[in-house]
Amino acid sequence: MPGRKRRAEPARFWRRLPWALLGAALVWLAVRSGYNAVLTNTAQGLCRLGESPAVTQISSDGEAAIIGRMDMRADSGRLRFSLTQIHFNFVPFLALVLALPGWSRKGGWQGLVSALLLLTISHVMSLLWHVQYFYATALGPWSVANYSAFSREVLGGLQYFFDIAVTFTLPLLLWVGFFSQPVSSVLGLGDSGADRRIGDGAKEGGS
Amino acid sequence: MSALRDFLRTPTGRFVALYAVILTAGFTVLALDPVNDSVVNGYTTFVAHQARLALLLLGERATVEGQVLASPRFSVAIHNGCNGLEAILIFVCGVLAFPSPWRRKLLGMAVGFVAIQLFNIVRIVALFYTGVFRPDWFGVSHVFVWQSLVVVFAAGLWVFWVQRYARPEATS
Repeated sequence: MPGRKRRAEPARFWRRLPWALLGAALVWLAVRSGYNAVLTNTAQGLCRLGESPAVTQISSDGEAAIIGRMDMRADSGRLRFSLTQIHFNFVPFLALVLALPGWSRKGGWQGLVSALLLLTISHVMSLLWHVQYFYATALGPWSVANYSAFSREVLGGLQYFFDIAVTFTLPLLLWVGFFSQPVSSVLGLGDSGADRRIGDGAKEGGS
Repeated sequence: MSALRDFLRTPTGRFVALYAVILTAGFTVLALDPVNDSVVNGYTTFVAHQARLALLLLGERATVEGQVLASPRFSVAIHNGCNGLEAILIFVCGVLAFPSPWRRKLLGMAVGFVAIQLFNIVRIVALFYTGVFRPDWFGVSHVFVWQSLVVVFAAGLWVFWVQRYARPEATS
């Protein structure tokens, strides 16, 4: 029976995945406008913590974030960009989790909350780097006067990493990291002693 | 902190850490200006030509200028981030970080690369037709629908590779 169960878990994952994707998309559609507001307010609060006077303004307008400064003229540059680009990875992450048979057992909910918290932190960080990169590069003489070429390079690099690398890779990392036991079952590595099995693989694999 | 240390001592923790390190290295290499200019841009142009070929097969009069796929009906610019390299990195780094014989890793990477590229061509063609028939849906389709599908596809491909080719029973 354990053998049959091990064969069944991977198949169940594939059967559940399309529905999980649909469910995750519906959850995202339901929470995104509230989440946009939380994201922009949190990022604005964090930006202002490091400012004197506190002048950063980040607001959400539908799917977009609008970034500006209160100490600049109204016709000065404002950055408008899609918040969906920052937090769409909520959908693939949740879809991968919901597709796992038995994901909610053995502390699964706790793992989900922890993983979502990390995902949210990454979204806030991503928004913060957008703000800083905008300040460093898009406000003409003010940018040149306040940011060195080196800091522009660093901020550009951080924005790239959070925009592309972190956004695209975090779902899989969190999925494997927080749900290692059900993931191991789906991978066909067994229900229990999943870590030991991955270790066995290393010995046999000889990589 | 000690929980993190304990986790990193487990094989799963080591896999996650190794995966993150290889991913960071991979994305850093892709971000370097010389690599971006000579490899990523060239590759993106190659992807644009592949998508053009697919559109020609579907009867569209498509042309490519640089990284812009154009036709009388609609045009799409293929930027860094839309060329499939991120999905390839997600998959390839997962294959590299997972313990299995090198022969199976190389085979997995080769087949996975082709599969992800085919998926990406489907994505670009689908986005092209979204732009033709439902231009107001293009933004949400581009960012929300297809980027989510790309990540799930790359992750699913890695799961499939482990299930079929990399786990201990499969390698013995």
